[in-house]
Amino acid sequence: MSLLLDASVILAALDSDDAHHEAARALLEDEGVTLSTLDLARYEACNVAVRAWGAPEAAAPILEAVERLAGDGGVIASTQPLLAAATELAERHGISVYDAAYAAAAEARGLRLVSCDERDLVANGLARLPADARAA
Amino acid sequence: MVSLPDELLAEVDAEARRTGTTRSAVMRRFADEALRRRREGRATAMGALLRSSAPRGGRAAEQVKATRPGP
Repeated sequence: MSLLLDASVILAALDSDDAHHEAARALLEDEGVTLSTLDLARYEACNVAVRAWGAPEAAAPILEAVERLAGDGGVIASTQPLLAAATELAERHGISVYDAAYAAAAEARGLRLVSCDERDLVANGLARLPADARAA
Repeated sequence: MVSLPDELLAEVDAEARRTGTTRSAVMRRFADEALRRRREGRATAMGALLRSSAPRGGRAAEQVKATRPGP
C-alpha cells in the first residue's frame, strides 16, 4: 500500500499533545506501507515549528523526516499541471489550493492521502485520518 | 515492458535457472526485496527520529492552516 502524507501527519507524529500523535507515529514507523509527501510539506511543517510552536529547533527533525520519505515513496514536486489540478479541486470542494495540492498529488499518483485535517480533507472524502489510513 | 542491459538480463536468467523459476519471478522477487528494504530503512530511521517528539499543543491541521500566508 502506498500513502501520501500531508504536513499535519508529520507534525502530529512529532507532537505528543496531538490527538493523532500515536496513529501518525505508528504510520511513519510502519514497514508495510510506502510513504511519500509533497514538497509543500517542508514549508508548511517548518512554518508551524517556527510560527506556532515557537521552536525553530524542531525544523531539523521535521526536515529529516521529509528526507526519509524522499528515500521511500518520494517527495512530489508542485508542478504546473499538479497546481492546475489543485486549483480545480479547490474550487470544486471550497478548500484552499494548499490543501487541494495534496489531494491532487494523491489523485495523480494513485495514492491514498492521509491527513489530520478533518474539516476540509477528510470531510470531503479526499483524505483519511492516520488511524484509518490502512483500512480497506 | 521492462528494458534491461544484456549483461544484467544474463544475471537474472542465471538466477532463474539456479532457483528453478522464471525471469519474471526473479525480477518480481528482487523488486519486492528492494522496496521492502527501502520501507524498513525509513521505518527504522523514523523510529529513532520520533523519539524526539515533544508536547507542542496539538491541533496540527489547524496550526498548518493558521500559519499559511494570509490573503
